[in-house]
Amino acid sequence: MVHLKINNIDCYYDSVKIIENISFQFQTGQFVGILGPNGSGKTTLLKSISHTLKPKTGTILLEDEDIYTLKAIDVAKKMAVVSQGANIAFSFTALDVVLMGRSPHLSRFAMESEKDVEIAKKAMTYTGTLHLQDRPITELSGGERQRIIISRALAQEPQVLLLDEPTTFLDVANQLEIMELLKQLCNNKKLLVIGVFHDFNLAARYCDSIVMLKNGKIVTAGKTDILTSENIKTVFSIDTVVKQNSITKTPYIIPIMVSHQVPYRSLTVHIICGAGSGSSLMNLLIDNGYNVTAGVLNLLDTDQETAGFLKIPTTIEAPMSPISDTTYKNNLKLIKKANFIVVTSFPYGYGNIKNLDAANFAVEHKIPTFLLDESLIELRDYTKGQAQEKMQILKNKGAVSVKDEKTLLAAINYLAKTCTDSKNISLKSIASAAVIAQMEVTS
Amino acid sequence: MLNNFKLSKKLSSHRKTRNWQLTILSLFLLLIYTIIVSISIGYTSIPIPNIIKVFLTNAPGLNRLFHYSVSPIEEVLILQVRFPRALCAALVGAALSIAGTVYQGLFRNPMADPYTIGASSGAAVGATSAIILGVSVTILGINTIQFFAFIGCLITVLGVYTISRVGTKVPVQTLLLSGIAVSILLSAVVNSFHSMFPEQFRRSAFWLMGSVSYSEWADVWSALPFILAGSIIIYLYARDLNILALGESEATHLGVDLEKMKKVLLVSSAFVTAAAVSISGLIAFVGLIIPHVTRLILTPDHRLLIPTSALMGAIFLMLCDILARVVISPSELPVGVVTAICGGPFFLYLMRRKKKVDAS
Repeated sequence: MVHLKINNIDCYYDSVKIIENISFQFQTGQFVGILGPNGSGKTTLLKSISHTLKPKTGTILLEDEDIYTLKAIDVAKKMAVVSQGANIAFSFTALDVVLMGRSPHLSRFAMESEKDVEIAKKAMTYTGTLHLQDRPITELSGGERQRIIISRALAQEPQVLLLDEPTTFLDVANQLEIMELLKQLCNNKKLLVIGVFHDFNLAARYCDSIVMLKNGKIVTAGKTDILTSENIKTVFSIDTVVKQNSITKTPYIIPIMVSHQVPYRSLTVHIICGAGSGSSLMNLLIDNGYNVTAGVLNLLDTDQETAGFLKIPTTIEAPMSPISDTTYKNNLKLIKKANFIVVTSFPYGYGNIKNLDAANFAVEHKIPTFLLDESLIELRDYTKGQAQEKMQILKNKGAVSVKDEKTLLAAINYLAKTCTDSKNISLKSIASAAVIAQMEVTS
Repeated sequence: MLNNFKLSKKLSSHRKTRNWQLTILSLFLLLIYTIIVSISIGYTSIPIPNIIKVFLTNAPGLNRLFHYSVSPIEEVLILQVRFPRALCAALVGAALSIAGTVYQGLFRNPMADPYTIGASSGAAVGATSAIILGVSVTILGINTIQFFAFIGCLITVLGVYTISRVGTKVPVQTLLLSGIAVSILLSAVVNSFHSMFPEQFRRSAFWLMGSVSYSEWADVWSALPFILAGSIIIYLYARDLNILALGESEATHLGVDLEKMKKVLLVSSAFVTAAAVSISGLIAFVGLIIPHVTRLILTPDHRLLIPTSALMGAIFLMLCDILARVVISPSELPVGVVTAICGGPFFLYLMRRKKKVDAS
């Protein structure tokens, strides 16, 4: 049973304290991910564990032995390190590179023996790179090279494997393969693998334990369930939606950029949407400084979840229920306060057809109304033509069609800029705004 | 099947060591052949059988068995002029190649060599200063000229290394630029010494362009111990140089004492370079081309690369010296001119290739 114990370490670069009072215990067979923003001390922590940066105070014990009392070469027999994006200077063959992992076990004058070659080849078999053994390392692809470097680390026959962002610079397939490989090393070879990662989804999916660092301190550590929206907000200062990956049953994190821009004028856009058709538009309009309201949406609808996250005022109906008169009327209140109405492209059934009546109400109250991508309404109409009919009436009364979100934004921006009285915009200027926006976007 | 697999593995590793021994042996034979050819070619050519006869008659131990009658003029020409000259060329070629291999490995950069990083010029400044100061004495077997050359070389290498270092890295561009700038500056210093004190430099062209024309046995004996000792120390670090190719932090993680290694290698290669420069002046590009070509055609593994580049460098510089003697016979070119003519285009070719690699 390998134990790696970190006891209250403080690390400094010159006189600058980088990590402070870190304590943690690692067990064999664990796959630990260290997460944190740039400058949080992740790499420094890895350096101090890897016998490169001696902590000013505190100890690091590997099997109850302080690693800083050992010689570098003796540490290399127990611990292997895969650094970030290493480039190899000369065209050694892949096997030569892996054999270099044997060097801590060899005396200065010894040549590699048969046994060393065998160990190296075994490591290459494990990483699936044996067929590359005679190829020059400089001619291998990034993924192949990274696997050769991991083979080299395995040839050291370590108990602990440390990796600094092992998947940076790799494509998605290679990222997953490397992570799978590391996971196998923990499960089958009972290695303790500690890696610094930038991609928290990758870490959430493969690691057993997570250590989250910020400003050189551990914010929280534990199983992957510590990856909550609150913890991520504390550590990375970003807003996220944490869901469960329904396939792997691991946390799945979606970062969302929330604009800190203050609306430059108090204009409100009300979005009539559903089934996810309005989510990106909500984000876009907020990013561009508009107030946004939405409705009517059913609870748990994708758009409702987004609206909830973005803290958008929304009229909500119970899940799977048709729009009731009360909710309809509540929605009209929001519509009356809005400066612009957008009807997005979503399917209509008897449950939500009233949303088109709400749009009709808006048009009749001379609120500029845009129909986003309303072509092919017949494919989205599950009301035997009622929706199509209502849509046609809307258009006749002056609702304007726009092709996509970009054009819509350009049109609203144009109106916001040109019309002084936002409560009294003529149908003509709405139509011309749409045409100008179309031209602006296509040019 | 498994047995077969094991057998083939055994063969491959065994074959590797045997291949290495064969390569070194054949290069050594080629070296001896080149020495003999180099003795035979010149203003008066000497037939090869005569050379062998002279050697057999004069070799200690063998001279009791062989007594050939050889012309005394040829004997003097062979033993006092051409043989020491060939050996000097071989020594200088080997020394510069070993130093080049070390610099390339240490800086992880195939464009480093004693000339491009300023080591040779530094040694030349040291050696010329000693000549001007007129302190040519020998203390404890160390000639002051060599001692000054060594100091000049070491200071220059450390200087260029410090100037071109960015953080912990030594980027190609800065290393080459500062090396070449320092090199030009120091060459100018050497040049001005020659103009200011012409009477002290009877072998002016020798210094400025690099030559082994006036080499004597004294040169061989003064340089050989340093080159030999330096090379042996360097060879102890052959495997560490391999590991360094993986990167500095990787080498540290594999248990290499990087700081000690750098110090030892910089000092010992300065010794080797200084010894070569003190007997031959400034010879460019040998230390660049030879390790590079050897790495390309044989192996990047320093355990083989160091001895084979030494042998290749020795052979190459002797061949250049032969060319220097014959192209405008009866007069001679400095051998440095020949190496520069070969090396310049090669250097440009490397630059272009490097650019392509960087671009891709």
